[in-house]
Amino acid sequence: MLSDFMRKLFGKNGSKDIAKKRLQFALVYDRLEVSDDMLKEMQNEIVAVISRYFVIDRDQLKLDITRHDDLSALMLNTPIISAKTRQRTANPRVADKKGKGQKFSGAKNRAI
Amino acid sequence: MNGKIIVISSGKGGVGKTTATASIGAALAMDGKRVAVVDMDIGLRNLDVVMGLENRIVYNIVDIVRGKCKVKQAAIKDRRIDNLFLIPASQSDNKDALNPQDIMRISKELRKAFDFILMDCPAGIERGFENAVAAADEAVVVCTPEVSSIRDADRVIGLLSAKGIPSKLLINRIVPAMVNRGDMLSHQDVVDVLSIDLVGLVEADDQVVISTNSGKPIVMQEDSRAGQAFKRIAMRLNGQPDLPIQVPKSSQSFWKKFGSKIGFGK
Ligand SMILES: Nc1ncnc2c1ncn2[C@@H]1O[C@H](COP(=O)(O)OP(=O)(O)OP(=O)(O)O)[C@@H](O)[C@H]1O
Ligand SMILES: [Mg+2]
Repeated sequence: MLSDFMRKLFGKNGSKDIAKKRLQFALVYDRLEVSDDMLKEMQNEIVAVISRYFVIDRDQLKLDITRHDDLSALMLNTPIISAKTRQRTANPRVADKKGKGQKFSGAKNRAI
Repeated sequence: MNGKIIVISSGKGGVGKTTATASIGAALAMDGKRVAVVDMDIGLRNLDVVMGLENRIVYNIVDIVRGKCKVKQAAIKDRRIDNLFLIPASQSDNKDALNPQDIMRISKELRKAFDFILMDCPAGIERGFENAVAAADEAVVVCTPEVSSIRDADRVIGLLSAKGIPSKLLINRIVPAMVNRGDMLSHQDVVDVLSIDLVGLVEADDQVVISTNSGKPIVMQEDSRAGQAFKRIAMRLNGQPDLPIQVPKSSQSFWKKFGSKIGFGK
């Protein structure tokens, strides 16, 4: 009992604080576990948006979630074939024209 | 009748799902509701022994699904508490004996016959879990104040919410003395971590083991703190969601009183 009091007096807490911290970190990563279906769906939506501005090679597109010590990154890799002009965007058939592939790797974001 | 189906789940095994199902079911029936507790732990049935009804089993849930009997024939009536019924699991089959569609199908009959249907979920998140949650309107997720159990609860809460089933948290086996000295996560810590509403707090209570030994519902014991906590949980599930949550306390010692007086305690 006396040691409880001393502990509180000196602001030192028991093992539960460690437990809470560890849990909070573990759950951040657990919750990032995204199902394949969700990734597919997100990929389709992202492709739809990018395709409004660029002609891309859909087969080469790669979407990944990578983890480092203290952050997670959403990596999207897609070769860009060509940019679309405003007028071309209005006429989607132009998108079939093949251009020279270019590597684009910009969409690196902190995952939410 | 259009009964409500509540699944009692946890992810991790041995945290008190079966104890909670039996106790909450008994308390709801004592409040005058017509209650069925359903053992969904096919192949590892336990709810029958916890409730002291193991000698009266004739049919089970798999028999209902296979059309061998009606819901009313399989439901064992508790002789001590009116309106309390147990639908046992089959002991000789495994989880594959049922599928979620089967449960959806028989849930219509269950809703007609009872006010509350409590599904005692097996541990894990595989087939048995899928079956137990198939027809659930809401869920009570049970955890203990330990890291592994809390982590598994988080996973289960996520899976349930993806299915559109809202869940509330029951923290079981709280040891107030350990919480006081900072060696066990408090209910507030657990709520912080899981960000979920509580349905109740139950402390570790020797009476649970004793009443399980004799197959007598703990809520029938006026002097059991766990039993009283389960009663209040039943009230929250039965139209009184705002009944205040009581935090289990250890008997106050001099030093703790002294500590809290001068502002160090909780
Ligand atoms: N509040 C409590 N105080 C003391 N003992 C408890 C308490 N709750 C449960 N127990 C004991 O813990 C053990 C496990 O409980 P129970 O069988 O209800 O867990 P479960 O989650 O259903 O397990 P399983 O995952 O194997 O189905 C039992 O021996 C039970 O008596
Ligand atoms: Mg059980």
